Amino acid sequence: MSRYRGVRDIPDEEYVAPGSALCAGCAAEIIARHMLKVLGRDTIMVNVPGCYAISTLFPYTAVKVPFVFGVFGGGAAVAQGIRDGLDILREKRGINNERVNYKVVVYVGDGAAYDIGFQSTSAAIHRGLDFYFVCYDNEAYGNTGFQLSGATPYASRTSTSEPVGDSIGNEYRKKDIFEIWRAHGAPYVATISVSHITDMLNKFEKAKEFRGPKLFVALSICPTGWGASEEETIRIARLAVETGMWPLKEAVYGEVRHTFIPRRLKPVEEYLKTQRRFRHLFKPVRREEEIRRIQEAVEEYWRRVRESEAGG
Amino acid sequence: MLTGNAAAAWGARVSDIDYVAAYPITPQSEIVELLSKWVASGELKAKFVEYESEHSMIAGAGAASLAGARAFTATSSQGLAYGFENLFAVSGWRAPMVMVNVSRGLGMPMTLQVDNTDVFSARDTGWLQLHAETCQEILDFIILAYRWGEDERILLPVIVNMDGFFLSFTREPVYIPSQEEVADFLPPYEPPHGIAFSPEELAYAPTIILGHSYSYFRYQMHLAALKAKEVFYEIAREFGERFGRYYGPIEKYMLDDADIAIVSMNSFTSILKGAVKRLREEGYRVGVLKINMFRPFPNEEVADALSGVEGVAVFDLNLSTGAGGIIYPELLRSIYHMESRPRVVLDFVGGLGGKELTYGEIRFMVRKVVEAMRGEAEPTPYPYLLFTEEDVQRLAADMEIAGKKWGGF
Amino acid sequence: MYRFRFHGRGGQGIKTASRIFGTAAFLEGFNAQDFPMYGPERRGAPVAAYVRISREPIVSRGYINNPDVVIVGDETLLFDPIADPLRGFGGGVLFVNTPSTPRIELDGHVVTLDITGLALEYIGRTSAISAGVGAVASKIAGFTKSNTLDAVAMELEEIGVPGELIDKNLKLAEVSYDSVPSFDLESLPSIERSDFVDMGVVQVRLDDGYIGVATIANLGNTAIRKTGNWRILKPIIDMDKCTGCKICFAYCPDVSIYMGDDGKAHINYDYCKGCLICSSVCPFKAITMVREVKTL
Repeated sequence: MSRYRGVRDIPDEEYVAPGSALCAGCAAEIIARHMLKVLGRDTIMVNVPGCYAISTLFPYTAVKVPFVFGVFGGGAAVAQGIRDGLDILREKRGINNERVNYKVVVYVGDGAAYDIGFQSTSAAIHRGLDFYFVCYDNEAYGNTGFQLSGATPYASRTSTSEPVGDSIGNEYRKKDIFEIWRAHGAPYVATISVSHITDMLNKFEKAKEFRGPKLFVALSICPTGWGASEEETIRIARLAVETGMWPLKEAVYGEVRHTFIPRRLKPVEEYLKTQRRFRHLFKPVRREEEIRRIQEAVEEYWRRVRESEAGG
Repeated sequence: MLTGNAAAAWGARVSDIDYVAAYPITPQSEIVELLSKWVASGELKAKFVEYESEHSMIAGAGAASLAGARAFTATSSQGLAYGFENLFAVSGWRAPMVMVNVSRGLGMPMTLQVDNTDVFSARDTGWLQLHAETCQEILDFIILAYRWGEDERILLPVIVNMDGFFLSFTREPVYIPSQEEVADFLPPYEPPHGIAFSPEELAYAPTIILGHSYSYFRYQMHLAALKAKEVFYEIAREFGERFGRYYGPIEKYMLDDADIAIVSMNSFTSILKGAVKRLREEGYRVGVLKINMFRPFPNEEVADALSGVEGVAVFDLNLSTGAGGIIYPELLRSIYHMESRPRVVLDFVGGLGGKELTYGEIRFMVRKVVEAMRGEAEPTPYPYLLFTEEDVQRLAADMEIAGKKWGGF
Repeated sequence: MYRFRFHGRGGQGIKTASRIFGTAAFLEGFNAQDFPMYGPERRGAPVAAYVRISREPIVSRGYINNPDVVIVGDETLLFDPIADPLRGFGGGVLFVNTPSTPRIELDGHVVTLDITGLALEYIGRTSAISAGVGAVASKIAGFTKSNTLDAVAMELEEIGVPGELIDKNLKLAEVSYDSVPSFDLESLPSIERSDFVDMGVVQVRLDDGYIGVATIANLGNTAIRKTGNWRILKPIIDMDKCTGCKICFAYCPDVSIYMGDDGKAHINYDYCKGCLICSSVCPFKAITMVREVKTL
């Protein structure tokens, strides 16, 4: 059933133009490119403050499909209004063309998905809105200088959780947005990673089958905020998956399936060491206990996955 | 016989709205309850969505309008404040729609009663504003507001305001035009830049980094809002010819031969009009100037209406703390360049929290103006609070029950 | 009052350079005001910063339209229409970070130094040249070396640069300082001109709604903007090794790799920002990188 078997099958059409002012090496651009390749021409993008807003700075836009900018916490509400408005034109006023049948995709960062826009997103899912909600999750408020968000992982340095003195950086755990969304009973929820392009393409393709909320969270490597080398974007994303820190999975009407199960988990430190935001875990002294805590959380997760896969 | 809330719902219904974005709040909820019932029964062909907050509700209604649907919503006080940033989003999209605000004070302390500070706080958001005195005006203003905001020269959303309780829950006779009659007046909504209608596909509301483009687009909204006054005359005339009720940006009541004008907005204007006759019997040549349109502000009309008047009492059912009433400075702007402007303009804050406006307080306003005109009292830029001896007694009783040692004034 | 305008690319430390210069001016006893063009840092995107220094209290603010001294941290910006570093420059001092000699006709003094090359030598990195750029500006203004180096240390400490790296930066600053001349600012002609720009004011009219609403009709028009000059390193595809597997095409964030009629991958250097993801993902090691050489 997988339409895309490898990168050779990537559609040729590009709906993102070059020349945007997003940082070199930004994963959010890669995600947007492939998302629109699969969703296609008849898509309208809703965006809110966040890094991807840089795609559309008057008088320029890199997005080749129509685009509506809303307030930070309002992405899903704007999508609701657009979807409803277009549906009314079709159902009440008898207008039927490609415009009223646009797919509506909300493309926002983790601040808008996990934090300030959480309420409006939750409500749109609850109402069964027929839309795509895609979060490029760079695990902090990247556009404002990398402050802590609800998506920031444990022990990450951010500009509001500096690891000074005894501090380990962010002391909170990352919200499990996949499980939160799944608990809403959405028809399709998926995690994706830029390292696994065919997995990503197939998930967008599969989501098209469902009417209702289709929710994606993509680990979005942020060389600027994470303190990583730009060329490492894909390698870091792959390490996130192979260390087990970023599981690739989907849930169809709540039924979870992992689309990639690492045979042997690489140690998390291989991932952590690629980024300056975790450097304080290794320098000036190695913080063994914190590293072990992160490792154990990952192992615990996969132990449960194996149990449930065996049981199911 | 309709309440203000029912009149609002009927105004939306006969305007053949496509979309209702709802969220409950007292004293507004009745409006969307009625609309939801009509949508369910099929009497109104529209989609009804109850949002999870006014923040989302206003964004959703505006986005539906941007798509090309005629959108309606209603709120009040806290809800208006909660959705406030989206007021700017919707006007910035240039997405015309109508929102009824049932005016109520903003907590804390919480109140359910009227205080127009809520709606006046939205004066800088790019929304046009019409304020209703009667239940009939609510219904008529909604119909007018759709035709007005949707005009291609304007493309701005409109707030139609009514006072909580004093109109929202008050019944009076209201003439309801048929949907067919209204349809002749109000053409189908097809915004030239709408998602479904624009000649080209567009990116809406890109972030603007530099000041020259930002200045241009913001100023276009201002110019469109100014143009709206001219357009209002056009459509109000046509409305009058069709329905027999004529409206303007202002309304003059016994003002032509008056020395003193009381300036007012919204439902308390009826109380002031009622007092004018008695004041005249007492020898005060008083009239009332009612302002229907707060954005754009009808500067020329206000100046013209006050041209023969010596003293003005502004009745402000609102309070900008640290300054005074909100209508007062708006009015001063209107009259500053008059060749012979009223010599005395005083500000009176009253009716806050739905507090009764008594005849004594109205006479107090007029007397203060007369005293200042005669040079017997110092004119002041600060407001007088209309607060009676009875109010003091009732407050004292409350204070005692609340266990607060209050010594009175 | 003397007005210094700094231009560079996000990630080079241009804001820090302007702060080093502002602090050095303060240590010299000047009144100083430094101000970056606000915007989240985009690696590679053009950025600017402004410093006013004066013996008198400064009664001005904001962007500098008529700079006395222009400091260009990246030579590729010199003729960039968006950054436009020469705008309003009228005969003071222009500094360009470049290994070559710019062919440029203008009134005033042109000073060059290959700070990027020095940074590679002393720090081991080509990015983050703030100490060098700040020191050059400081020398041009005639500030002392000790105040300059103090300012470098203070500003780098402020942004959390570790001690050993500050020492390397101080070395870079010192070499940069010693490599450029200083000027008597009072002798420059441009200081006669003021901050005041005198232009006519026009009446803005109401346009029709379709025009006057903030929208963009030209979707995808960022393609007008060439981001190719963001590159510090340039990826080059070895066509003998390229198998046309499309992996680099898939991972390019900037739509700057296309598949040619020959079935192989090609890089569109007009847009390639030089992130080098392509080089890192190529399974056949067909993409190498070289330092970008820019011709002026």
